[in-house]
Amino acid sequence: MTTESTPAVALRMTGITKSFPGVMALQDVDLEINEGEVHAIVGENGAGKSTLMKILAGFYQPDKGEIEVGGRKATHWTPREARSRGIGMIYQELNLVPDLSVAENISLGAMPKRGPFVDYRAMNAKAAAVLDELDTDIDPGTRLGDLSISQQQLVEIAKVVARQPNIVVFDEPTSSLGDKETRVLFDVITKMRDRGIAIIYISHRLQEVMEIGDRVTVLRDGRHIETRDVAGITPDEMVSLMVGRDLNEMFPKFDLELGEQVLSVVGASRAGQFDNVTLDVRKHEIVGLAGLVGSGRTEVARALFGLDPLEEGTITLAGKTVKIRSPRQGVAAGVALVPEDRKGQGIIPGLSVRENFTLPVITRITNALLIFLGKERKIVTELADRLKVNPPQVERPLNVFSGGNQQKVVLGKWLLSEPKLLILDEPTRGVDVGAKADIHHIIGEFAQDGGGVLMISSELPELLAVCDRIFVLHEGVISAEISRADATEESVMRAATGQEVAA
Amino acid sequence: MNQLVAPAKSLDKSKTPGALFSTLSIPIAILVLVVIGSVASPSFLTVNNLTNVLNANSAVGLIALGMTFVMVSGGLADLSVPANVAMGALVTLGAQESMGTGLAALMGLLVASMGGVVNGILIGYLRINPIIATLGTGSVLLGLSQLLVGGGIVYAQPSALSTFVKSSILGIPVFIWIFIFVALILHPLLARTSFGRWSLAVGGNYQAAQASAVPVRFTKAAAFAMTGFLAGLCGVLLALSNGQARPIIGTGYEFVAITAVVIGGTSVFGGNGSVLRTVGGVLITALIGNLIILLGFPSQATGLITGAIVLGAVGIDAYFRRKAGRL
Repeated sequence: MTTESTPAVALRMTGITKSFPGVMALQDVDLEINEGEVHAIVGENGAGKSTLMKILAGFYQPDKGEIEVGGRKATHWTPREARSRGIGMIYQELNLVPDLSVAENISLGAMPKRGPFVDYRAMNAKAAAVLDELDTDIDPGTRLGDLSISQQQLVEIAKVVARQPNIVVFDEPTSSLGDKETRVLFDVITKMRDRGIAIIYISHRLQEVMEIGDRVTVLRDGRHIETRDVAGITPDEMVSLMVGRDLNEMFPKFDLELGEQVLSVVGASRAGQFDNVTLDVRKHEIVGLAGLVGSGRTEVARALFGLDPLEEGTITLAGKTVKIRSPRQGVAAGVALVPEDRKGQGIIPGLSVRENFTLPVITRITNALLIFLGKERKIVTELADRLKVNPPQVERPLNVFSGGNQQKVVLGKWLLSEPKLLILDEPTRGVDVGAKADIHHIIGEFAQDGGGVLMISSELPELLAVCDRIFVLHEGVISAEISRADATEESVMRAATGQEVAA
Repeated sequence: MNQLVAPAKSLDKSKTPGALFSTLSIPIAILVLVVIGSVASPSFLTVNNLTNVLNANSAVGLIALGMTFVMVSGGLADLSVPANVAMGALVTLGAQESMGTGLAALMGLLVASMGGVVNGILIGYLRINPIIATLGTGSVLLGLSQLLVGGGIVYAQPSALSTFVKSSILGIPVFIWIFIFVALILHPLLARTSFGRWSLAVGGNYQAAQASAVPVRFTKAAAFAMTGFLAGLCGVLLALSNGQARPIIGTGYEFVAITAVVIGGTSVFGGNGSVLRTVGGVLITALIGNLIILLGFPSQATGLITGAIVLGAVGIDAYFRRKAGRL
């Protein structure tokens, strides 16, 4: 690494232009990253961040523009070339093999050999060294699939770090991490930066950008808007640069008179996941379920919907005690769940927006035999319009839509089922500012129309802004119930880390 | 109830080159084959030849229609088809004497359907890999049928039903009518009913379908039950029209059916496909088989050529999937 006084430029992208059929994804974008800096890139979904990074990684060829890495112009830029020039990518989605060990995943594609055989000892040692560097206590011999999502993400990072890259791109790395893991990640990033590695950090969480970033580049509609020192910008300024307007109300909150109980759960337990959970949700109410990753939040949500039924305890919905042992019974009882893992459990990528929307309720728009296609189209078009699905083309397969729009479709499909209780597990993860506001609006409207909402989020500001009450889980046990008036980041965090036990 | 179906707006899907290619590819392929055939041999484009070709492929075509549901729902393929064909055929002829032809045929259908139901339970409910499960049930059932008839031939007795099966209505053989009839039922079943939508969803993303309250296990199982039934129907029809049956009667039919489905453009990975496309696939495979003979190639070359076409079709499918995934 160079140690000159003026920072050396690790990466220079000039005049990058890229279009897809019907879309101008990037237009004349310049980007300059120095060695030893954390350079944040922010922008709404569809602003061009992903496309720019895919060009950097060699997956797309730009229509115009140049890439210069370490002062050398890049020619014939392919994923292999990008990798060999020291560019490492850490994506939001994990690219790991669940059935291999942690060490095997880390060394995948470059396993140390002894003769024709894999040198397992060297491989495990290498993995242990990298994992140690990342301050984790993950055992290299563990089967990857046995790890939690956040641990798997650390393995993904370890995999990239093991190749000793010069430039590392983090694409929404904290979206599946809890606070503690995020801290660990930031330590790692800081260490990497101090070693002279150039870090590109993409995130929707502007607080994180403020904390970890040295400079920030804002993209909007495929154009470079501005690059500034993080020290000289506020999150609000960033937001207005991103959306091109002032966003006064990030979290609109309707003030509503709470109605009768929609949900009451008493003594709910599942061995090893959560124990004796008692909570309730009222009409018009948005109740938060806070807790660290692994606290049992997601498990409670899945149980209430019937994906992993309760072992003990009772569920009462709108005054009726119900047994929910499968999602079908869940839907029949009036429960809907927007799952945490959108790609894995939320969307059917190859089916159209229309077909995704109506999946849970398809039997309600059929006669004895056939689906009413006309009626289906009408319902779906109206819903897409109401939810501002963009582009508003409901016959397109869902996999060509951005994350935020996919999430709107998942949300919309459950609104169609007209649930009494809507459970949301990380509804705005990896979703851009604009879509996030739309989603909050949709949730608010649902509560206004008389529904009850149980919402899980790792983003405390979001929970604090949206929720009327917050239940906090700590290691599978409800550790606090906090009213809107008393809820602060500190009070929730104390309960989530077990420092404050409910009376 | 009489919803006027809105005039299909310009569906954006059809504008992409991949989609356009896949919409037009089947009619174009059929056209090309017909042109080649007419040039190659004067006897190709005759009512007689074409009727014969279709007639010969209708029975196995029935299985392809069922196999479409198996593939669409992410069930890969049903390899127990030959056994269920044999069961349908042998039970029908074996029971003909004691219970009469009609009942015996129903019996044959029932037994083959049972085989399909067992596949469905193993794959849908116990979640065993379809290839392994159907290979297993196929071996068991085929072994059973061989045990029943000692490897020999069972002969049919003349009956009104077999005369009917061999006859023609409006100049078109009954076999073809049955194929058309079943296709006309199954196409809307996949394209226009809740069950069809479930099949596509289960094959597209099993977990998400499950989390959307789709009866995933039933949907997967039903595809195999249906294929078992249709394999049985194929066996019954063949037995009655041939006047005899042996345990090897359906050998290779699973591959012919898979070929037709894949050539029709239904994805082996599940999540999309249509019965109409499979009908196209049956026509294409039938014409190719016919051309191979008319062009004077040894009939042993059929496997080589259709195999190459299947690999090509799967390759194109994989290519477009990857492209779509990347976009």
